[in-house]
Amino acid sequence: MANKEVLDNASLQRALTRITYEIIERNKGGEDLVLVGIKTRGEFLAHRIADRLEQLEGVRIPVMAIDITNFRDDIPDHHDDLGLNQAERLNISEKNIVLIDDVLFTGRTIRAALDALIHIGRPKTIALAVLVDRGHRELPIRADFVGKNIPTAQNEKIKVFVQEIDGKDAVEIVH
Amino acid sequence: MKRHLILEDGTVFEGLGFGAHATTFGEIIFHTAMTGYQEIITDPIYDGQMIVFAMPVIGAAGIHAEAYESVKPAIRGMIVHDLAEVSVNRQRRMNLDRFLKQHNIPGLYQVDTRKLIRHLRETGPQKATIVDFADDHAVDQLVATVLTNKQVQNTATLKPYANPGRGRHIVVIDFGLKHGILRMLGDYDANVSVLPYTTSVDEVLTLDPDGIILSTGPGDPRSLPDSVLTLIRVLQTKAPLLGIGLGHELFALANDATLAPLSSEHHGMNHPIQEIISRQIFFAMQGQGYAVDNDSIDRKKLFVTYRDLVDGAVQGLRHREYPAFSVQFFPDAAPGPLEATAVFADFFETVEDYVEHHS
Repeated sequence: MANKEVLDNASLQRALTRITYEIIERNKGGEDLVLVGIKTRGEFLAHRIADRLEQLEGVRIPVMAIDITNFRDDIPDHHDDLGLNQAERLNISEKNIVLIDDVLFTGRTIRAALDALIHIGRPKTIALAVLVDRGHRELPIRADFVGKNIPTAQNEKIKVFVQEIDGKDAVEIVH
Repeated sequence: MKRHLILEDGTVFEGLGFGAHATTFGEIIFHTAMTGYQEIITDPIYDGQMIVFAMPVIGAAGIHAEAYESVKPAIRGMIVHDLAEVSVNRQRRMNLDRFLKQHNIPGLYQVDTRKLIRHLRETGPQKATIVDFADDHAVDQLVATVLTNKQVQNTATLKPYANPGRGRHIVVIDFGLKHGILRMLGDYDANVSVLPYTTSVDEVLTLDPDGIILSTGPGDPRSLPDSVLTLIRVLQTKAPLLGIGLGHELFALANDATLAPLSSEHHGMNHPIQEIISRQIFFAMQGQGYAVDNDSIDRKKLFVTYRDLVDGAVQGLRHREYPAFSVQFFPDAAPGPLEATAVFADFFETVEDYVEHHS
């Protein structure tokens, strides 16, 4: 069965634009703002949002990408490695963090990311931005900025495509 | 029959009369759109004005039931180069000439519109009259005529009315609404309440809107009472708000920006407009004699979201603290390119988001 496109290129751009505007609304002045993208696609989305903020405000908001593999709750042997070298690791203490991922599903990735962030510092606040919220949470986690709510069945798969590595911008339901 | 167009600066143009054989006064402007004359002459933003069309042939599409932007046209006159007498309207019920006769609006054709537009580009809009004889008496009459600045009062609704739907509840504050806005809201199945611009804050909030639209409208927004600005200042904090055209200008004024007349007015759909955040460029219908003065914008309150790439004029604003934004151009695409209709998608996504977080 063919994939069903739920966000096309134009609506994906609009979703990122709206998230950016909402981030501005809730972070007056944008001082102490740090965007943290969860690898893989969250990183690209974080850079896109930083590009948009720069277009509007002329200021580059710092972006950090984190790999949360080692903080997952289904991997017994944590070794608390964020996959970042010293130069890539930003000071997040007393910063307002916007954590960015492509899809919010069970919430377990976000829990791992929160763990990873708190492992390297003590941010003032952490907010969550996701391109797609597909429901079926297993943890008490809610996004502050949502590109699109897509109600899904448990067994469906949501695939986010980004230009940087997938050659197009789209969100599809994969059967 | 031969008739005359006289401008306030004394310039006279000759042409042949069509539509109503009446004498008319109004402010003359020119329009560069190549399609959509019916929507343009029925758009309330042109209340009290005479429109010169740059498009050389006007009238070939007839008059259609689906192309009205208001029930009654508010223009005072129409000046074209060539009038198409044969309508291709399949129903052939109505053509432009008969339509104007019915509404007592005079037209003039066989006019050297290129020369006229070049002249107006230099002088800017001015008072004008269409008369049979261009004598001193007609010129005196024109000079003595005082044009109204009550265009919003002429075109906006006096009483609230509903345009029911089953979706989100949208309150439209009417400053001389064009139908295109209601048509777009219908596409989203919105449950619409249209309120007069004299409405109080309480009257709006009692209706518990999911979103608020400040409509398009004619004239200079500074001629409206200050109560309108107070209304906007409160409403923008209560629900997602979208200002369009005059609504955009009022949104700017309510947030302490000022307006300045454009040296060359925008009436057409040939200006590229850039969405600053995404750098995307598109075209949309414009109808503006004023623009928000870029230097007057308090960046702590507002930021610019769209810009006209021909003269840099501000085409969109957004509030820093509230989900309130506005566009100078007309995103309802009636007439005009469809690209700008995404503004309504943005608005409804903002409304959904707001409802999600506030219920």
